[in-house]
Amino acid sequence: MRKSLLLVSVILVLALLATSCGGQKATTSIKIGGVLELTGGLASLGNGVANGAKIAVAELNAKGGILGKTVELVVRDCKTDPVVAGTAATELIEVSKVKAMIGLVDSDLALAVGPVCQKNGIPYMSSGATSPKLPGQIGNTFFMSAFGDNTQAAAAAEYAYKELGARTAYVLWEKGIEYTTVLAKYFEQRWKELAGPDSVLLNDFYLQGDPKVSGQITKLRSLTKQPDVLFIASEPDDCGVVVKQFRDAGLNQPIFGGDAYDTPLLTQVATGVSDVYYTAPSLLAENAGSEMGQKFYKEYVKTYGHAPESAFPALGYDSIMALAKAMEDAGSTDGAKVIAALEKFKNVSAVAGNLTFGPNLNDHTPMKQVAIIRTVKGQLELAAMYAPEKVPAP
Amino acid sequence: MSKRQILGALTILFVLGLVFGLAQLFAEAYLTRVLITIAIYAILSVSLSVSNGFTGVFSIGHVAFMALGAYTAGILTLPLQVKATTMQDLPRFLGTIQIGFLPATLAAGLVPAIVALLVGAAILRLSGHYIAVATLGLLVITSEVLQNAEALTRGARTFTGVLPLTNLGWVFFWAVITLYVAWRLKRSHFGRQMLASRDDLAAAQAQGINILRTRLLAFVVSAFFTGVAGSLYAHFVLAFSSRTFYLPITFEVISMLVVGGMGSVSGAFLGAVALGSLKEVMRLLEPGFAIGPIHVPPVYGLAQIVIATLFILVMIFRPKGVLGDREIDPLFWMRWLKRQDDGARLKSQM
Repeated sequence: MRKSLLLVSVILVLALLATSCGGQKATTSIKIGGVLELTGGLASLGNGVANGAKIAVAELNAKGGILGKTVELVVRDCKTDPVVAGTAATELIEVSKVKAMIGLVDSDLALAVGPVCQKNGIPYMSSGATSPKLPGQIGNTFFMSAFGDNTQAAAAAEYAYKELGARTAYVLWEKGIEYTTVLAKYFEQRWKELAGPDSVLLNDFYLQGDPKVSGQITKLRSLTKQPDVLFIASEPDDCGVVVKQFRDAGLNQPIFGGDAYDTPLLTQVATGVSDVYYTAPSLLAENAGSEMGQKFYKEYVKTYGHAPESAFPALGYDSIMALAKAMEDAGSTDGAKVIAALEKFKNVSAVAGNLTFGPNLNDHTPMKQVAIIRTVKGQLELAAMYAPEKVPAP
Repeated sequence: MSKRQILGALTILFVLGLVFGLAQLFAEAYLTRVLITIAIYAILSVSLSVSNGFTGVFSIGHVAFMALGAYTAGILTLPLQVKATTMQDLPRFLGTIQIGFLPATLAAGLVPAIVALLVGAAILRLSGHYIAVATLGLLVITSEVLQNAEALTRGARTFTGVLPLTNLGWVFFWAVITLYVAWRLKRSHFGRQMLASRDDLAAAQAQGINILRTRLLAFVVSAFFTGVAGSLYAHFVLAFSSRTFYLPITFEVISMLVVGGMGSVSGAFLGAVALGSLKEVMRLLEPGFAIGPIHVPPVYGLAQIVIATLFILVMIFRPKGVLGDREIDPLFWMRWLKRQDDGARLKSQM
């Protein structure tokens, strides 16, 4: 029994060697790699991206592929673990020989995959990471298909100020997560530029995983002057719970959130709620939003039998389509040429908002319009497609 | 050390050296990454065996030491330009220095060791389930403290810009040291005291063994090498936050230790190698594969399911782990040779 553990270990290591050294035959297909969160904490988002990407690949192949070759999407599950993400990315580049990479909705995971792609000159279009610092941290192979948190926060601030006429704000953010922390910071920065340095009446937080905000609500109600708008930066799991508590407490000002609100959980938990706004890449619906969005929506329902869960499938679709267009524009799959082609994108149509990139690293975060979505009695509608005038620096 | 022991140690050094040497020469980036990953988990597993295995103090919160080690080394090796732009609130003495990987990793071991000394003095008086829960509390507290010490750690925001200093050479170096220290500790009188205190607390006390001091030694040594593994991990993933060092990694390391054999250094090591390789082989099979005409569809999550199932099976059939307390004799090949020799000699005598 003792030696069997040793024996088993040796066999497994040999198996590992065998599978990884299995030579790849030269094929006439173009492989695009996807390191995605298919299991683990972010699985609900990662699987959406995978679904959207698969629709894009099927569409491309129906029209003859890219540069006349079939497109193959090679998917790896990173299990929401940065070590596995880095290993999977290395495997895809080295063993599967992918020409480009998509995937990952989380900035931490993107930071595990990005350097691997950067080292090998493989263009990487992330599908949902929103930290605008990422291109600066990773390098020029990195692009984002989603807008940066600074962009969506600025859009929220400007829309609330200009369209809703709000002049004072309350900011609540979930402490313990990068996304909500920076989102609130960007909002406050842009808001104070618009409405003045004293226009945030109260800045409060609640701890991650503890969405009981009765204390925070009491603190808010004790203010002599009540704010015009409530900006609440929450994660998908908590947003419905928190919003419901505010409405139940009789606070009926407009509530503004970030793209994390783009989940069925919002209206399922905070049923029948109105005047909750949030920024998102797009509103996907059968009879609302852009024509491209409606087409994608119908295709998604046809392929998977249910509506897209959020905007993430759209981002998966857009990531593939952007890479495909860049390869066609460049006439090759060479990394440097594809990157140059991507940097020339100006208002390229996409399901989740048109894409514009530029040669500077900060312009690898797309200039996009932000969809402002509003709830009316628990139903979602598109309030506006809004491009912020000024965006805080990353 | 007896001649046999020296020979055994040299055998292990040779085998490991061969593996790492071949990898350094021939392995490409992917295999190198897998090997580094397995080695880091092996260091974690072996250092955990010193605490959980030798003394029976089942620490579930050890990853707290990994987190402390990661942040300590990360802050110390961070380039000054990065510190200036992303960590302006660092206290001056930290914000103006940048040291090398070796001293930073040593510091990464010392800081958790000191914390282990202070915390251990309090909680190591407990036993059984209580100590497991207390160490879990340590994990949660450490995670919260790291998250709130924003000036030092950037709080919940990702700690980025870490230099990619971990490579096969460093990992080999620290793995050998960890194995050596654990093995020598087990064979020393400290080690025997630890095993005694684990197996029969009252009898050990009756023998005059100071239980607290014995456990504290194991806890501190274990924390040191867990911190070192944290440093290696930090310079491997290059970006992390306090959330990175929490329950998922804890379960991975514990399952490696439990499957391999809690009281066994070679068990902990081989458990990590076996489970680490198994996880990677499963991961490669997940997207689906073909055996001849049979096409197996993708099953994502297969790796986690297989390892969890294995863990349960081991708990049912061999709760002490495959190796239990025993070690694999590195000179087992010599014994086999000797048996052949004896057999030939007996035959010639007949």
